[in-house]
Amino acid sequence: MSLFPVPTPLLKVFALFPLYSYPHIEPPSKKPLEEPTLWIAPPCADLESGVLSSDVDCLKWQAYLALKGLVGIAVEWDVSSQGAIDKKLPNLHVPLDGKIPEPEDGSLLAASMIPSWVADRLTSTDEKQVDALDGYINQAAKDESLAWTTMLETRVRAALLVAKPPPSYLQSLLSLTYGDHDTDPLASITTPPLPPLTGYSSLVHPMGSRVNTVAVESEYREAISALAERLGTDKWFLGSENATVLDALLFAYIHTILHSKDSIRVEVTRRVNLVAWEWRVRGVVRAAFHKAPK
Amino acid sequence: MTTPGIEDPTQTPSLKPPLQSTASPRDNEPYAEDVQKVLKWQEGRIARRLKGEYESAVVHLTEVINSNLHTPISVSSVRVEGAPNTRQSFIGSLIRPILSECTSGPQDLESVLHTTRKMSRRLHETDIFKSVEVRIEEARHVMADAGAVDLVFKTREKGRFYLNTSTELGNEEGNASATARVRNVFGGAETFEANLSMGTKTRRSFRASLEAPLSSDLATRGELSAYGMERDNTAFASSFETLRGLKASVRTGSSNRGLGMHEITYEAVIRHIGAFAPVASISMRRCAGQTTKSAISHTWTMDSRDDRITATRGHYAKFYQELAGLGGDAAFYKVESEAQISRSIWPGVSLSWGSRAGLLWSLRDKPSLFSDRFQLGGPTSVRMFRHNGLGPRDGSDSLGGDIFWSTGLSILSSIPQKPHWPIKIHGFVNAGRLDNVDQSRPLTSTIRDTLTRPSVSVGLGLVYRFDPVRVEVNFGVPLVASKSDASRKGLQVGMGLEFL
Repeated sequence: MSLFPVPTPLLKVFALFPLYSYPHIEPPSKKPLEEPTLWIAPPCADLESGVLSSDVDCLKWQAYLALKGLVGIAVEWDVSSQGAIDKKLPNLHVPLDGKIPEPEDGSLLAASMIPSWVADRLTSTDEKQVDALDGYINQAAKDESLAWTTMLETRVRAALLVAKPPPSYLQSLLSLTYGDHDTDPLASITTPPLPPLTGYSSLVHPMGSRVNTVAVESEYREAISALAERLGTDKWFLGSENATVLDALLFAYIHTILHSKDSIRVEVTRRVNLVAWEWRVRGVVRAAFHKAPK
Repeated sequence: MTTPGIEDPTQTPSLKPPLQSTASPRDNEPYAEDVQKVLKWQEGRIARRLKGEYESAVVHLTEVINSNLHTPISVSSVRVEGAPNTRQSFIGSLIRPILSECTSGPQDLESVLHTTRKMSRRLHETDIFKSVEVRIEEARHVMADAGAVDLVFKTREKGRFYLNTSTELGNEEGNASATARVRNVFGGAETFEANLSMGTKTRRSFRASLEAPLSSDLATRGELSAYGMERDNTAFASSFETLRGLKASVRTGSSNRGLGMHEITYEAVIRHIGAFAPVASISMRRCAGQTTKSAISHTWTMDSRDDRITATRGHYAKFYQELAGLGGDAAFYKVESEAQISRSIWPGVSLSWGSRAGLLWSLRDKPSLFSDRFQLGGPTSVRMFRHNGLGPRDGSDSLGGDIFWSTGLSILSSIPQKPHWPIKIHGFVNAGRLDNVDQSRPLTSTIRDTLTRPSVSVGLGLVYRFDPVRVEVNFGVPLVASKSDASRKGLQVGMGLEFL
């Protein structure tokens, strides 16, 4: 509201202008959105499928959508993570559903909004009944899933982050990303917090984090061993009849590890059941997605 | 013998007060009663006498010089004194060409005096001397020819270090800045400058540059600079843009003399679009991320206006072309032109016409990048539209365009009875359009469509000259607009250096 309200007669005069209007000038590359499109981080160059993201978080949501039975979802990886909501991929770009007034080109959903969108899409009663237990066979399995989820998101993730090659000096020098230097992804998942690289008593402001890689690798080896043992020859993790969120999470980590450095990949490749399970689920996930047309 | 009481006519009469003034006013002398006026009159008389004596001396000297112009004199040596921080080789490079010109022609007093004046001017042009005084002395060297002279330049160097903090308003933004400058860094008239600034739209910026003369006539200068800035584009593009770049340029000529100023620049820059507002459009989010540009550009500028802010005569022309694609993500050819002509049509009233146009032609089979596109609209370009409010838009975001033109006609008048006031009245008509270029269509067709569908606005306003900035308060309306244009009806305030 302006400080000085414009007099009504003047508003009436202003309403006459412009006296003539040309049509809209459309943005150059804007096309009507015809199918849900998941914005993901780019896939690995060596991946034969070409639609599975190299980023574990994006792949997690890809697996989630696919294992929920959704198909015909487009993926695109031209959008930088800086353009995503809260600077985090994936984002789901969905077309108009006609329920609420939305912009012409649909609306963009953050990853946290994907489950509710999926729930809207799945209208079958059976699906909703299963949702009460989130797909697990019983409450104990559901409770157990939390422990496995925590292990994957901390111990396995930490090993993935440690194994990830650091950016080159030139890349760091030329990088202009906003505020990403402040948060260390490894520090955010580790408890207790990692000690800083510089001493607490030094004159220099504490920076970086000191990572005990031996401990991280040891915990990772234990975690993979436990996962392989618990999976056994089951179709889905924890003996579920259908895929659960935990299966999506497990697939994302196992798939990403299989395309990482040898030091962590070897722990998975020596367990045949994990490799076979990943290979089977990969087929399901890959079939659900296709590359968005340019 | 004189008889008492009877005066002897052969003797001087004795004086008896009160005496009467017998002086006749030959030189407008004031009355003796007004002491101040007498003093002033006396000072004036002394000044006139001194001026007369000086003019006589000058006339005499001129006569002496003129009558000896063709006297054979040669320059034996040139000495520059009082320049401890300046390299001898640099001074030599300035003086030697002028000296060789002198020695190649007839060697007489006239040529020596011309040479002296040229050298003095050249030393002044380096901008490293506070004062330059010249003496012509008899040659010191024992082997010097008879009649040879030494030219002695007694100089005082300017201070080398300069630090300045300031707050500035202009081009729709305000900022505070600190500038440090080192003059004559390496003793060859090089200038190093570092600037750090924080502002409302350009949130943070830094720039460090080293400028040096490249030619002995000082007409060509080279500059190396590194810069970085963070622009707040949330008002029109829901994002921030960060740039870091290096630039190397060579500049020759002067914009207000001869054939104008030419500048050739190579620039390598990293741009980053990010920090989006929650309401950012999909099109704008697709522009996110880091891109690089490696480009070479040429700028030609000619400016003969009598005043940059409220010109009444003269013209201004600028032509800019850029070729990007020598590496990096951006590949395009960009051309931009700008012209302005001002004429006085009545005492205190002037008419000004300005125009700008540009084309961006992508050289790859991809749309141009946001950072390279043109933006149009706002109080300093097409008035009565929001800042960068014209052209392709997605929601509230201006995405920029590949082709644009804009023109404006203004009548500027002094306030009646108050021609000396810095505030003026003006009326304006502005028109322009910013559009996309579809490379699958003929360019002539795109240009025709762009020219025939202009957004037009009219208005009246006040212009305040707030050196070096021009401030405008306008009242106007858009007459013709595209449905996607963001217009501004009623009052609009503009602040900037260059207006349409």
